[in-house]
Amino acid sequence: MDDEAFWSSDPNVLRDTEWDKISSEFTNAGYREGITAGKEGALQEGFDDGFATVGAPIGRELGILRGLCSALLAFLSPADPSQSTSDAALANEVREIAAALVNVRFSDIAPPDLEAIAHAREHLEPSNAMTQDEDAADLTDPAKLNEEIKDKRDMENLEDLMAQVGSSNAPSVAPARPTTEDVTRLKARLMSIAQGLGLPLQWS
Amino acid sequence: MDFDLEDLVNVEQTFYEDGYKDGYAHGRVHGLIEGRALGREKGFEMWEELGFYEGFALMWRAILGAQGGHDERTQNHIRHLLELIAQFPRVNPSAAAAASETSSTEPELDIPRLFRQIRSRYKLLCATLGVRPTLRAADGSSPSPDRPPSDDLADTEMGKAAAAGTTRAKPERKKVWTVHDPRADKPLGGTELNF
Repeated sequence: MDDEAFWSSDPNVLRDTEWDKISSEFTNAGYREGITAGKEGALQEGFDDGFATVGAPIGRELGILRGLCSALLAFLSPADPSQSTSDAALANEVREIAAALVNVRFSDIAPPDLEAIAHAREHLEPSNAMTQDEDAADLTDPAKLNEEIKDKRDMENLEDLMAQVGSSNAPSVAPARPTTEDVTRLKARLMSIAQGLGLPLQWS
Repeated sequence: MDFDLEDLVNVEQTFYEDGYKDGYAHGRVHGLIEGRALGREKGFEMWEELGFYEGFALMWRAILGAQGGHDERTQNHIRHLLELIAQFPRVNPSAAAAASETSSTEPELDIPRLFRQIRSRYKLLCATLGVRPTLRAADGSSPSPDRPPSDDLADTEMGKAAAAGTTRAKPERKKVWTVHDPRADKPLGGTELNF
């Protein structure tokens, strides 16, 4: 309450500010406790959701493709290099696919968390009464939500940097990251090679 | 003037509760987002490795089938490997486990053990094929139940919760991947791990 209100001739002003003060004090205290409890209560639910609907299926698909490549490559590159030459070209293509698959990271192919984006937008709306949240922008960046994810991203950035340095006088433009479409194309190539070899593959 | 003393006494409580309700709803959104980010990452890590073994086995099964080879031992390894992987949950079983927490007779799913079995079966298969096993990035750090919990990311969640002064006792539930209470579940406690 400021002095002006205190010295105001209208007693209602004093009463109202006092009332507002109590109101906001207790409301804020409740809000703070509530936000902590709500967050804690929802973490596991969110984890399970992300695990089952995004992480596991995407990881499995990419892992299977990598495993298929690994086995096919072992099959096509016999220990004795003097053997069949027709397979050499094929082996090279599989090697190329395998290398491209190794380059794929989860952050390249993970779908955006639409709910997180929507909520971050809510935070940014000036009309919104949600207070003291400096982390609005962080919501859409997994690396800012969790230390471990951040460490992993930092490591990946370091890899990128090393790769750039390693490629001598390469331009400073970072190569484009692979996309989900790239993975789909790699899968199609791999499957057609397998089909050409008469290798039936399917998984659910 | 009609004056209800009861209302005045409760007014602070009412403000608090209104604030709490709003805060809880907002915190829930944040918890879901944060948990989801972590769950996506963990699910990907685990299943990328498992998927690799699965794809490896599938391709060799197809190759051996096409060759008409009948190497009993290799076929056996492939079959076992695929069976083990099929047992691995694609959904964090915490929900299911919580539902069945009353029936302790339920056989426990020992995730670290299953993971070890899968890895060694893969290596056995490689050996019979004469192929060098691909070292998975995380091969060295197999989930071990006796791993000290200090390097467990879930501990930071614990710390946060404790710091925030939320000390409500939670029922100890069986969870395989638990975000905020790894010690609730001793045998499987170290499962949310870095591979």
